Amino acid sequence: MQQARKAWKGNPVSPGIAIAKVFLYEPTILAVEPREIAPTAVTGEMDRFQGALAQAKEQLQELYDRLCIQHPQQAKIFAAHQEILEDEELLEEVETAINQEHIGAENAVEQAFDQFAQMLAQVEDPLIAGRAADLIDVKKRLLRILMGKQEKRLDQFDEDVILVAHDLLPSDTATLDREHVKGMITEVGGSNSHCAILARSFLIPAILGVEGITGALQDGWKVILDAVEGNVICFYEADEEKAYEERRDRFRQQQQEEQTYLCRPGMTKDGTPIQIGMNIGSDHYEGEEQAYSFIGLFRSEFLYMEGEHLPTEEEQFAVYRNVLERAKGKTVTLRTLDIGGDKTLPYMELPKETNPFLGMRALRLCLLHPDIFKTQLRAALRASAYGKLQIMFPMVGSMEDIYRAKSMVRQVQEELTQEGYAYDKEIKLGIMIEIPSIALIADLAAKEVDFASIGSNDLTQYLCAADRMNAQTEAYYQSYSPAMLRILGFVFRSFASEGKPVSVCGEMAGNPKAAAILVGLGARKLSMNYASIPAVKAKLAGMTLEEMEGMANQCLTLRTEEEIRRYVDDRIF
Amino acid sequence: MVVKQVEIINQTGLHARPASDFVMMAKKYQSKITICKEDGEPVNAKSIVRLLAEGIGPGTKVELCAEGDDEAEAVEALEALIASGFGE
Repeated sequence: MQQARKAWKGNPVSPGIAIAKVFLYEPTILAVEPREIAPTAVTGEMDRFQGALAQAKEQLQELYDRLCIQHPQQAKIFAAHQEILEDEELLEEVETAINQEHIGAENAVEQAFDQFAQMLAQVEDPLIAGRAADLIDVKKRLLRILMGKQEKRLDQFDEDVILVAHDLLPSDTATLDREHVKGMITEVGGSNSHCAILARSFLIPAILGVEGITGALQDGWKVILDAVEGNVICFYEADEEKAYEERRDRFRQQQQEEQTYLCRPGMTKDGTPIQIGMNIGSDHYEGEEQAYSFIGLFRSEFLYMEGEHLPTEEEQFAVYRNVLERAKGKTVTLRTLDIGGDKTLPYMELPKETNPFLGMRALRLCLLHPDIFKTQLRAALRASAYGKLQIMFPMVGSMEDIYRAKSMVRQVQEELTQEGYAYDKEIKLGIMIEIPSIALIADLAAKEVDFASIGSNDLTQYLCAADRMNAQTEAYYQSYSPAMLRILGFVFRSFASEGKPVSVCGEMAGNPKAAAILVGLGARKLSMNYASIPAVKAKLAGMTLEEMEGMANQCLTLRTEEEIRRYVDDRIF
Repeated sequence: MVVKQVEIINQTGLHARPASDFVMMAKKYQSKITICKEDGEPVNAKSIVRLLAEGIGPGTKVELCAEGDDEAEAVEALEALIASGFGE
């Protein structure tokens, strides 16, 4: 009997549509039972371990050789894994456990690798801590060999599949069969996870963070993966499938065309330059350098949220400096700590608030805890000696906020000068425009700051008084509302008349249609996630500035968001 | 036993590729080799995981120590590698 249609929602991290059979990927379960061995069995057990070690090295070499020409980045993972298998101390630890504790090779491997992984995970530098995952990966390889289990492989399928897994590790995906894997769904992982980055670079549609999906789907079931909207659909009718097939083909063709714009400079059809920037949320830069001309938003929260304590000045300095050096002369806009609201810190007790989004968020929190704020400003200013840094404050609601933040920077600058640190004395200071009370005095703010960036998500939320996390208020959250367009136009004009740059770094900037309206309203700088760049550049290259301005002006005469959306949809495809 | 104080001058510190290069060089020698931060415990220079876990950043002063038949050569080679800034 035909079951009823079922759908799940998740986070679309790599856009596209796929329709194919489910391939449930369950990593081999490797439950190691505690096992003691007789003293006489020690030699045999050591031989088993050495044999497994040799075999693992061989497998890794094979994987490396296969990938090193075409996918050097993926090949590096396996070179790093080989290095782990040559770690003198780690091997000694395993051998000692077999020799002296008389435990089985599996137990010894598990014990030693877990201990070493733990050691790495405790390191404050997130790049090093992240390598603990490599140790676990290598451990599993050794255990699979010792326990005689086959590695589930994703490098060869006979038919098209949509990969469904709890999570995908670098070694799972490095040899992925790109011809047959049409989509990926996982239960965990965000837009910056390894899996998301890989999916985007391979142009494979992917939805992550779909809770419980591995339990809900079965091997061989046909599903629709709509990684444009973030839906996974099962037990659908034939006409729905047909509609999705058409959308999929159109999307693919469009995507291929758009990709040709990735590394071209951003500009309108008539040659007006529009600077396209990238938003980053860690010290990782993805993709092609030529795709973006500045970093419009460097979110610093990851430093605070991933650790177990407040990051020290030195830790922050090292990360900021690294980000600046790798920007190779491009401007990096560091947004100071933006927590509170929906983002909390595990190690810091923040008072419970009835309305956290209207509470002590971001700059407000930083001004309440000057020690935290100053540590970040010191680290950022010291790093400014190593590249083109500018500092941006989030949640600015008034001129007083600007005065207070700037005076804090001045204090820190004086301290650093006295201590003899080098820093950029001309550093540019700017604000996020996301609270209507600052947007409406953008003319005054533009005199006091060097630049601004519009956070369109929060601005919409605060302007419309509609929670963007609440599904029920979705209809009230109107990014294209007449009020929003008026306020955006006012901000662009205010900064332009002071000759100061203003960019947009929220979701609107990465949406091709919205980007065209923003340019029509006066935006000349847009910053977005890497994945959105080709589509936005392609859209802007297809219209003249005059067309976009005409459209924006027409929108400003309309009365409801629905009218505006309809008008835009009729003109831009 | 040969002991030598050196300062890490490359920008990355003993992380990522420089750490790998360092371990690879250490493994060329028979001697037991350790690297030790000020106020730290000496760690085996032939263990990439230990080395990474130490988090030896740029500007750190470390003590190299080797004991064995080729101890002098080992310390000399590792010191030269660190002084070269790992080609950064």
